[in-house]
Amino acid sequence: MVDLWNLIILNPMLNGLIALSSVFDGSFGLAIIALTFIVRLILLPLTIRQLNSTKSLQGMQPKIQELQKKHGKNQQKLQQEMMKLYKEAGVNPLGCLWPMLVQFPVWIALYQSIMKALATTPESLLDLFRHLYSWEVVTRALPLDSHFLWLNLGVPDGTMILAIIVGGSMWVQQKMVTAPSADPRQKSMNSMMQLMMPFMFAFFTLMFPSGLALFWAVSNVIGIVIQYWITGWGYLKRGASTQVVTKAGGQSGIAKRP
Amino acid sequence: MKQTKILFLIAVALFGLVLASCVPGGAQPAKGWSGITSNNGTLYMGSMDGKIMAVNSSARTQQLHFPADGEWEYAITTSSQGGLSCGPVSTSVAIYGTPAVDEALVFIGGYNGRVYALNASARSRNLDFPQMRDNEWFYPKTSEVIGAIVGSPVISEDAIYVTSSNGKVYCLDKHFGDKKWESDVLVKKLWSTPYVEGNNVYVSSFDGHLYALSAEDGSITWSFASESKIGFVSSPAVSKGVIFVGSFDRNLYAVKVESNETLWKFAGDNCFWATPLVSNNVVYAVCLDGEVYAIDAGNGTQLWSFDAGSPIVVSPILVDDSLVVVAESGNVYVINPKTGIGERIRNPGNDNKPTINALVQATLCVQEGIVYIRGQDNYLYALDIKQGEVKKFPLVTE
Repeated sequence: MVDLWNLIILNPMLNGLIALSSVFDGSFGLAIIALTFIVRLILLPLTIRQLNSTKSLQGMQPKIQELQKKHGKNQQKLQQEMMKLYKEAGVNPLGCLWPMLVQFPVWIALYQSIMKALATTPESLLDLFRHLYSWEVVTRALPLDSHFLWLNLGVPDGTMILAIIVGGSMWVQQKMVTAPSADPRQKSMNSMMQLMMPFMFAFFTLMFPSGLALFWAVSNVIGIVIQYWITGWGYLKRGASTQVVTKAGGQSGIAKRP
Repeated sequence: MKQTKILFLIAVALFGLVLASCVPGGAQPAKGWSGITSNNGTLYMGSMDGKIMAVNSSARTQQLHFPADGEWEYAITTSSQGGLSCGPVSTSVAIYGTPAVDEALVFIGGYNGRVYALNASARSRNLDFPQMRDNEWFYPKTSEVIGAIVGSPVISEDAIYVTSSNGKVYCLDKHFGDKKWESDVLVKKLWSTPYVEGNNVYVSSFDGHLYALSAEDGSITWSFASESKIGFVSSPAVSKGVIFVGSFDRNLYAVKVESNETLWKFAGDNCFWATPLVSNNVVYAVCLDGEVYAIDAGNGTQLWSFDAGSPIVVSPILVDDSLVVVAESGNVYVINPKTGIGERIRNPGNDNKPTINALVQATLCVQEGIVYIRGQDNYLYALDIKQGEVKKFPLVTE
């Protein structure tokens, strides 16, 4: 199983990352940025599907709220009606989750690739040779230079700058898609989500090597661009957003791109 | 919707946890692979838990309580900051180099960026370290450290030579640990063991350079840059004015010292990680492709090759008329250096398992015809290659 994982996912990604480093004159930081672009491009169909699912679910919020008011005391009935509603609208409530779960193996492989490629310890360097292709473009880049801008990509960024960028960009991304709700419970849940996620990733940034955090930061920025391309600034513009969801029966939960 | 969000949060938290602890193949922690040195019947080595140990093979064979006569251990530790709410904690230091021994003094470099000189007598009495009157010292003498030390220290006359991950070579006074000189930064990271011959200190670098430094003052007297600019991964071996060194490009290079001439290069199917052994005009080079190659030192022609079945990361040694090679998997082979014909030493307990059934990444040592191997399982193995006997002793003391 491990061999299969290495053969199909890890080794191509690792060698690709090192080859990119060679292309960028030994800059591993630029290689991470380039690979992030490539990975995001490959995963674009899944991302679009995820965004569309989120968009559809949010568009149904007024109807869901109506159902909650109507069948609030009968949970079983409420569940039945909600499932019916999802079915009629052709929406899978977990539709926005699955594309993200499918992306997990890719993120994990990318994490492994970054860590292996940096080979910060002698053991890691020795282990790296088990995964390398004999391409000259790969061998020429070794060992990689772990310094990029102010970062040592092999260790966490102690300056907090990257943590702020990762957390901030994630907050913007979240804010763009999360519809404000009139329901106080929903509103509090949304607020928690909007803060929790960026906080968690900012915390991860302080724990993990900055090479991985650089990938998160770039990935978030690309995510914002994709989101803007599909939905515009969405709920980041406060005025445009509030009216849609609070209006009962509104069809779209996301403001259109101007 | 609420459920979805909760699931989403759980998934994100799991993602972090998986990355933090469960995903195999991330960064490998520095554990060390210190080799063994033999001196006056005692074996000196670093253990996997950061201790320098002096082991008497005879006492181990008799299963005497450790430490027996002449045996001792000293734990190299460093103080590091604990977790978010913890204070400083003492952690063991990884040891990669093979100790260098000169009479009563044992020299070693730690991954914490310090060089240590330990006196066998003081260590046997378990006195506080360092005992100045016994010529014990550590360098740097302040709380500062130099870069992590991966290569082995080398003794030449009154000096100790070490390389550091800060890219410099250091020359220290053997008796007092005073710095005689430090070189310029040769490369961003220097992990190779220097080769000292006469007034020259040879080092290979990750950026594709070979250097000869003056043993007197550390100035660069000669340098060589590989044409392809591909780095050198192994430490250099020098014989008859030629440097033999493995490269990241999977070639073994022979470079004429004090010229910029590559005499030959020999291609393997993976890197030549270990320092080659040169004897009688033959280069014995082990490769991560699992092969042992005998190469004519003069022209780079392959004389023979031997398949060890798995990567080899440790230099071979000559014992009497045999070449002893240990694969990383733990299989030990005894090869005729002239013909390349060899055989595996069987595991006495189970023939289907490797000879010593432990990962081997540390330099071998021979003492009175017995080959000593330190496995990554923190056991010391003693192999009588003539009798095919294997004994093992734990390096963890109570």
